[in-house]
Amino acid sequence: MTTSKISGFARRHRTMSVATVLAATMVLTGCSGGGGAEVGEESGPIRIAALYPTSGSLALLGEESWRGANIAAQRINEAGGINGREVELVQADVPDVNGATSEARRLLDGEGLELAIGTYSSSLALAASEVYARGGGTYAELGAISEEYNDRGYENVWRTNPSAGSFAEVQIEFISEFVAPELGIGLDEVEVLLVHEDSSYGSSVARSVETLAAEAGITNIEYAPYNAKSTDLSSTVLGMEQADPDVVIAVSYASDAILLARQMEENGVVVPAFIGTGGGHTLSSFGETLGAAADYVFNVDFTQYAVNPDATPGLEEFLTMYEEEYGEGPASGHSLANFMGANVVFDILEQTGGDTSAEAFGEAAAAYKAEEGTTATGWGVDFNDAGQNTLAAPYVMQWRDGTLETVYPELVATIEPQLATEGQ
Amino acid sequence: MKRSYLIIGVVVLALLAFLPLIIGQYLLNNAVLIVMFVGITVAWNIAAFGGALSLGHAAFFGLGSYTMAILLLDFGVNPWIGMLAGMVVAAGGGLLLSIPLLRLRGPFFTLASIAFAEVIRLVAVYARDFTGGSEGLTIPYAPGWLNMSFSDREPYYYIVLGLTAIAVLVSVWIYYSRVGYQLRASGSDDEATRALGVNTAVLKVVALVISAALTGAFGAFAAQYFFIVDPETNFSLNLYSIQPALNGIIGGAGTVLGPILGAVLMTPIGEYMRGAFAGQQGLNFMIYGVVLVGVVMLMPGGLVSGIEKLRARFRRKRGAGRRTDTTAALNESRTEDRL
Amino acid sequence: MELLIQTLVAGVLLGGVYALVSVGLNLLFGVVRVINFAHGEFVMVGMYLAFWLWAGLGMDPYVSLLIVAPAMFLLGVIFQRGIIQPIQGTSANMKIFVTVGISIILQNLALFLWGGQYRTVSTSYSTSVFTLGGVTISVGRLIAFIGALVLVAALFYIMNRTMTGTVLRAIAEDGPTAVLVGIPVKKFYFVATGISVMLAGVAGVMLTPFTSASPTFGFHMTLIAFIVVVIGGMGSMVGSLVGGVLLGAIETLAGTYISPALQQAVLFAIFIIVVLVRPQGLFGKGAGTEEVGLK
Repeated sequence: MTTSKISGFARRHRTMSVATVLAATMVLTGCSGGGGAEVGEESGPIRIAALYPTSGSLALLGEESWRGANIAAQRINEAGGINGREVELVQADVPDVNGATSEARRLLDGEGLELAIGTYSSSLALAASEVYARGGGTYAELGAISEEYNDRGYENVWRTNPSAGSFAEVQIEFISEFVAPELGIGLDEVEVLLVHEDSSYGSSVARSVETLAAEAGITNIEYAPYNAKSTDLSSTVLGMEQADPDVVIAVSYASDAILLARQMEENGVVVPAFIGTGGGHTLSSFGETLGAAADYVFNVDFTQYAVNPDATPGLEEFLTMYEEEYGEGPASGHSLANFMGANVVFDILEQTGGDTSAEAFGEAAAAYKAEEGTTATGWGVDFNDAGQNTLAAPYVMQWRDGTLETVYPELVATIEPQLATEGQ
Repeated sequence: MKRSYLIIGVVVLALLAFLPLIIGQYLLNNAVLIVMFVGITVAWNIAAFGGALSLGHAAFFGLGSYTMAILLLDFGVNPWIGMLAGMVVAAGGGLLLSIPLLRLRGPFFTLASIAFAEVIRLVAVYARDFTGGSEGLTIPYAPGWLNMSFSDREPYYYIVLGLTAIAVLVSVWIYYSRVGYQLRASGSDDEATRALGVNTAVLKVVALVISAALTGAFGAFAAQYFFIVDPETNFSLNLYSIQPALNGIIGGAGTVLGPILGAVLMTPIGEYMRGAFAGQQGLNFMIYGVVLVGVVMLMPGGLVSGIEKLRARFRRKRGAGRRTDTTAALNESRTEDRL
Repeated sequence: MELLIQTLVAGVLLGGVYALVSVGLNLLFGVVRVINFAHGEFVMVGMYLAFWLWAGLGMDPYVSLLIVAPAMFLLGVIFQRGIIQPIQGTSANMKIFVTVGISIILQNLALFLWGGQYRTVSTSYSTSVFTLGGVTISVGRLIAFIGALVLVAALFYIMNRTMTGTVLRAIAEDGPTAVLVGIPVKKFYFVATGISVMLAGVAGVMLTPFTSASPTFGFHMTLIAFIVVVIGGMGSMVGSLVGGVLLGAIETLAGTYISPALQQAVLFAIFIIVVLVRPQGLFGKGAGTEEVGLK
């Protein structure tokens, strides 16, 4: 058995040396990486972590969201920065939940970035903010809507944009203020069908609507979840035809929004009020691809671009900068929302003198106020105890002649809303 | 031969146990991921001993995650017990999958395993009231060893290291035992082995069930480590079905060292590439795919067989006798598959 | 009753799509004995080619078939030469993982080149329908269905009435003997794979008028194609057609009468059941079914 003895020794020797090299590498990188977390450097750039999914299935709107924050940073740096210091957004790509957790840890622990912004997707926001919240950092969400984000009892999670709950609120408000009166029926008579894709996006909105509808007195409401990746939504459309609702609230991604609209048209299904909830119904490709078939589709979402300019100062400037930087117009309102949110974060940092620590930021954020109609999205700012901006609300838009016009509330509207059955 | 391997193993384990003392939190996070994937791959590989190349292990992973989460959130069951329960539920899943296992060969079993995992995932999405649907469940933060919840990475690291060490031990024990030898023989030529009077069916099922249970344990760990359990992630085909299979094949399926090598190699590469190619969508996974294709085409037995060949050449040069190799038999051509 | 009929019609049309996508896979497995996990990605490539020809040159998708079909055949030949041929002698599991690797590469190549957003073609007939006795039938889907029929018929003709087809069937039935008899098997593999990939591409083109292209579309289709092929029976073209239609009908019925959220789960469950109860599928002949044999 001489051969095995030699090989055994050679093996052990090799394993030992591999282990030693591995350990040595770790030591070296650990030493250089671990010492970088210094708090409150008085000079040099203000570094803020920016976690967005710019690859993977969420890339389209993740990239769009990032662009908004990026432009806000550029703009403020052109104006001299904060307290004379440049704002540096340290961008990290977080395509999925595991990536979000890993990157958050890297940025917080490895790079010492105590303040982070992001994230567009609810599950990513939840994951990344858990790391920051547990680790003593601050997480400012500028675009994700899941209710749970502010519901976990953490002190240092903030959100500038409206949550899923407010989407549901506006949906129901619009139904009671406009749709039901137009149809001449009471809230307890209105029949609502909630058609939603079955991932976390659709489900969270559905859940919010469910709670609020009951409180508002809308008793006839049914739910029709479907899979966003289906090549055929016939079952859903046929179900819709059978139910014959007054209102359809839809929560869809890009291709299913188009597919649904097309198959509804094919089957001749018309609903007096079809109200999308952001997502696919907001995208410019929805209007472009469907053309006239998109007309009269309502949509509840973040501020879009055909909106009353008096109520949204800074929006024009944003559009100009976006065109310059990216050579095209925005794909959706997500960039605008992130632009507004990033600006709020920078304003708060003005108050703290550039201090990104959780205590300083928390104090300044709690005290920060802005009136409605004074930001680029038209939203005001007033954070509640859980960190949610209570003055942010989605608006109701309607597709008309290929443009997504704002129709509700009056403060920001460009034209009057119209039921699909009237406008034929 | 076994004694020296045991010593190596203990040494490596000791070194790994000291790791947290030398590296920072971020690298420790990477270490946890690498160790976790080593564990998952080793667990997957146990089923592969018996010739079952499953692409449905995410089912077991997710079952472990959800069991732990649901028991904790709805019934207040302690996470440690929840982990054990998760292993039991995952083992049950393994039993279910055994039915196709015994009736289908090779690629058809693989297909069935994918369908199996997808059905479970879709059910998890559908059963909203029970599983939280697509949004999933969040594990609350309640630090303490009793709750398996910590603010630092170190305790997590030790837990996953322990789990992986157990997985490797089980793997080693199966490999070198007589039962394991029969199992591997049936993986390489089922009919011949049965002709010798071995009850291959029982062996294969046991291997799959053990593999499933271990995978479920890691799923339960992941629930605590990532705090969030959702169908898209915890039943992810890519992350927990394909990755371990990939690692195992690249390293050398059906061997002890193979899955470890494969995971140790591919996990950091994957993490690194994601960071390095943050701007270019898809580039990192594309390279991943190229590596997979390259390795499978050039070294069907995985890295382990490649290393063996190098050593054989080295030994031949030194004039030592040739040694017959029973490892990696799984991946070499079988007569009935060749045309 | 009307709901049932409309559902069935929608289901059958969907089934046509499924059949279209799986015909090529069947051929590849039957003759070359490769389980091509990248099959759906080839469908995706066909969709993107059709989209870019439409977006860039304004070419109607059906017209673009003239360009896409030969291009995909060529791609198939390259695929055979570069990837399949070298691994021909290895185990079936190895072939799976190589094609899984190719699938990953193609998916992410599409993502890298064209980004993640959905690309939708919009033609004058995108939402055109015609009504038959109160039932609406989408024009685009009907054309795809007819396309599936035509392709299956054409393939049937080629396989059973031409020399090439006979040779392919011979290779499918008994490869080693074919070699012994002096058939240049390698060359015929090029033909088989070429046709298979071409069929995938054609399926993609025919889907384009009513389906959006995206990098992740392929995987979904691969799984469905496998289910269809197994249910219909390996090596049976007619089986693919019938299997596809059946699957489409079941899925849509499940969607309407159980829940749209569960329709996919129903498909997978049926797949597992069929594979356990009748592994050779509905029309399974000899070719390839020994792989699925009971133990």
